[in-house]
Amino acid sequence: MKKSRVVIINCRRILPDPVRPDPEIILAMLKKGLSLLAGVSSAGEALSHWFRHGEAIGIKINTIAGKALSTAPEVSRTLGLWLGSTVTSVEKIIIWDRSDEELRQAGYRISTSGGSLKIFGTDNRRAGYQNQPVSLRHIGSLFSRIQAELIEASISLAILKDHGLAGITAGLKNYFGAIHNPNKYHDSGCDPYVAELFETEAIRNKHRLTILDAIRVQYHRGPSYHPRWLAVCQKLIFSSDPVAADTVGWQLIEELRARKGLPSLKEENREPLYLRTAEKLGLGKSSMQDIEVIEEEI
Amino acid sequence: MERRDFLKITISGCALGLLSGYPGFPGYSRSPLAPASLSREEARYYQKLPDREIRCDLCPRFCQLGDRERGFCGVRENQGGKYYTLVYGQVASLNVDPIEKKPFFHFLPGSEAFSLATAGCNLNCKFCQNWEISQMRPEQVKNIYLPPESVVATCERYNCPVIAYTYTEPVIFFEYMYDCSLLARKKGIRNVVVTAGYINPQPLSDLCRVVDAIKVDLKAFNQNFYHEYVRGQLQPVLEAIKQIARSKIWLEIVYLVIPTLNDRSEEIKEMCRYLKNEIGPDYPIHFSRFHPMYLLKNLPPTPVSTLEKLREIALNEGLRYVYIGNVPGHPGENTYCPGCGRVIIERYGYAIRKKEMNGNKCRFCGREIAGVWS
Ligand code: SF4
Repeated sequence: MKKSRVVIINCRRILPDPVRPDPEIILAMLKKGLSLLAGVSSAGEALSHWFRHGEAIGIKINTIAGKALSTAPEVSRTLGLWLGSTVTSVEKIIIWDRSDEELRQAGYRISTSGGSLKIFGTDNRRAGYQNQPVSLRHIGSLFSRIQAELIEASISLAILKDHGLAGITAGLKNYFGAIHNPNKYHDSGCDPYVAELFETEAIRNKHRLTILDAIRVQYHRGPSYHPRWLAVCQKLIFSSDPVAADTVGWQLIEELRARKGLPSLKEENREPLYLRTAEKLGLGKSSMQDIEVIEEEI
Repeated sequence: MERRDFLKITISGCALGLLSGYPGFPGYSRSPLAPASLSREEARYYQKLPDREIRCDLCPRFCQLGDRERGFCGVRENQGGKYYTLVYGQVASLNVDPIEKKPFFHFLPGSEAFSLATAGCNLNCKFCQNWEISQMRPEQVKNIYLPPESVVATCERYNCPVIAYTYTEPVIFFEYMYDCSLLARKKGIRNVVVTAGYINPQPLSDLCRVVDAIKVDLKAFNQNFYHEYVRGQLQPVLEAIKQIARSKIWLEIVYLVIPTLNDRSEEIKEMCRYLKNEIGPDYPIHFSRFHPMYLLKNLPPTPVSTLEKLREIALNEGLRYVYIGNVPGHPGENTYCPGCGRVIIERYGYAIRKKEMNGNKCRFCGREIAGVWS
């Protein structure tokens, strides 16, 4: 059976400001990561593995924890501008999350005008939620029009964090921000909801890449920001297998926890079981034996 | 690669706890997530936990949440370790309805109820009729701000003797409902609550002190149904029903009959026995007709014959006031005197056509009829 590839790119140079990383360094990490993931030497060529020319691409970020612990604008904008100058045009890129206010609080400037990257929330008057709920297995939700209608391809650019209920929040759970009622899906460790949500047409058919922002990782007491349990890891994690990407992210969190003498997520009874459910639904690989990890430093 | 090797690699370069002792971290913001247009009234019934976490004790979910997170109901938010209701005074639906629409059949029949709701619900019924407000967060619907003083004043202006907290799930706007009720009582206005009964004993006990009647939607008499179609548990609802009956405020029960899902005769028989045993035969029960809705569109409306059969079962089990709901014009809408069997309140839909009572007694045989009649 073919293994799923996950690429980890480390960069020490991001320090001393991991909160506002240098866009040039981020671009180098993105190029390296995606080339290795596609197994090609040129970064531009790598992109054509996942995107058709001229596609409208959504970059779903995570801004729920405010400026302290959200996908940094330096990361998402750099990715957006790069995509906009290679596979598509900048005005076809939407960087988005649930609301304009959350985006603002995370340091983003809302932009809806032509000729530049679009940055706005589902609650922006250009978007909103669809009128009728999508129903699949245990999911019954209204989808953001951004995910369902305004984009053709999707990248989950998620921040990697410990999560009090789900175990971890990463690329898969990031899509909770694409529906109107994520608060309904936090019981039983978000299982099977995280997996089943990803299985819906609006996500599964559009998702192309997971990129985990693990520059700083909240490895305990997440998803809220607690500086005491925040590690600076300077990593970006890439995969086109959304389950494998999160599985590798989970292992990173476990290792950080172990180093701090914290119990494992399993010991705390909050192992992210939704990853196994996702594998059962055929969404990707959730076992490290089935994942090929390539790690490089730039 | 071995898992151990992999971990060794990934860990290299992680500066653990580098930001420890960095409370003044410039990006750290305590600004609330919820839009400023929503309310920010401190919630009741919650506990503060370490690390800015809280636990909500209002309903049996006991949501435990970190900073900037919301509970299952979507209307309560942890902001920096303090828990807030976002819907205090934020009315998403407001109407004057006949009280029969709730339905209350034995509580001031023919009254007009000043009816209101905020967004949100602590359950997630797949057949919800008001999902467009109940399954939403408050910022996803249109709200008008109506503090308790304005609710009572408007209710008086419309000459309504009753305020009904209804449509969504009043438990999740507890603080607002409570304060409105307290104020309304002082003005001689009654308060009625239409709920699924998913509430913890302490808040329910406090609520029973300020309201006059509660209608509980009992969704089924089996835990599997509650798990699959309601996303809740049956037992706390049964406990709430018993507690309400003990509190001496008026109680009515509605059972929405959904074809193939909760319409088994045996189950209904068992439920009726349980109710008669635990709360007595005098609280009305309404078997309501289901119409395809929200996420349950693949089922047909309940056959009237099923409702009739279940009504028969309940009467045979000794329950005295058993109604058929959502079938306008059906004789099962009428109130029959358990003494002489005559029709003492004749209804058509929500309208009262005839009332044959003297005060709280049957006009024909003088039997006392359970309820609140004046
Ligand atoms: S009232 Fe809301 S926040 Fe509180 S326990 Fe219930 S669902 Fe959770």
